[in-house]
Amino acid sequence: MDMRNSKLQRRIGVVVNFASLALFLVIYYSGIHLGWRPLLLATGAIVTLAIAAASFLTVHVSTGLWKLGHSHIDKLDERQIQVTHEALRHAYATFTVIALAIIGFNAVAGSHGHYVFDVVLPVILVYVAHVLPASIIAWREKVV
Amino acid sequence: METRKLYNRISILRLERGLSRKDLAEMIGVNYQTVGYLERSEYNPSLDLAFRISEVFGLPIEKIFSTQPLRPLSEELFGTGDEGGD
Repeated sequence: MDMRNSKLQRRIGVVVNFASLALFLVIYYSGIHLGWRPLLLATGAIVTLAIAAASFLTVHVSTGLWKLGHSHIDKLDERQIQVTHEALRHAYATFTVIALAIIGFNAVAGSHGHYVFDVVLPVILVYVAHVLPASIIAWREKVV
Repeated sequence: METRKLYNRISILRLERGLSRKDLAEMIGVNYQTVGYLERSEYNPSLDLAFRISEVFGLPIEKIFSTQPLRPLSEELFGTGDEGGD
């Protein structure tokens, strides 16, 4: 069963995509702050990013969701407009929760003199914000 | 306001006319996956879309869509046979 028709396969792909990015952040920041060997840190980072890239291509590109999410509204039919509107609504709420959690964590860490995050985290968050609506569509829709 | 399920005859009318979902989708101006959602009653069309479907099949909207489960077309046209028809 191909990904366009299998909600289960798409959900697995979405979980793998976000989990690999979360793992990348854990490896990166643990490596930096705990002083891991550069080769170990680089290997971990590359492997997790490769998994994230592969799952992104599988879930978003091969299913056409990337195209759906970037199409002009004039090219969408009424059902697709409704689906993307719902996905955007859920994406904004989800992203707000993620951002608040990170800000809260950083505030607590900062109060102990340990500001944890550098530019890498915002880059990952930009990616998350960009693919979240399409990920929600991949998660919820029967057929994409 | 709760959205009600709309039953329809789109699938059978499409097959009677030898149309694929892509053919029908092009005729009514939607993506072919939307035709699938319509046929499975998983999406309720707007009034405009319902009229376009009606025009394609040449039937009144109420013969294509219903808020109640639809009787088979053969039953509507010829009865059940219990009424003593031809």
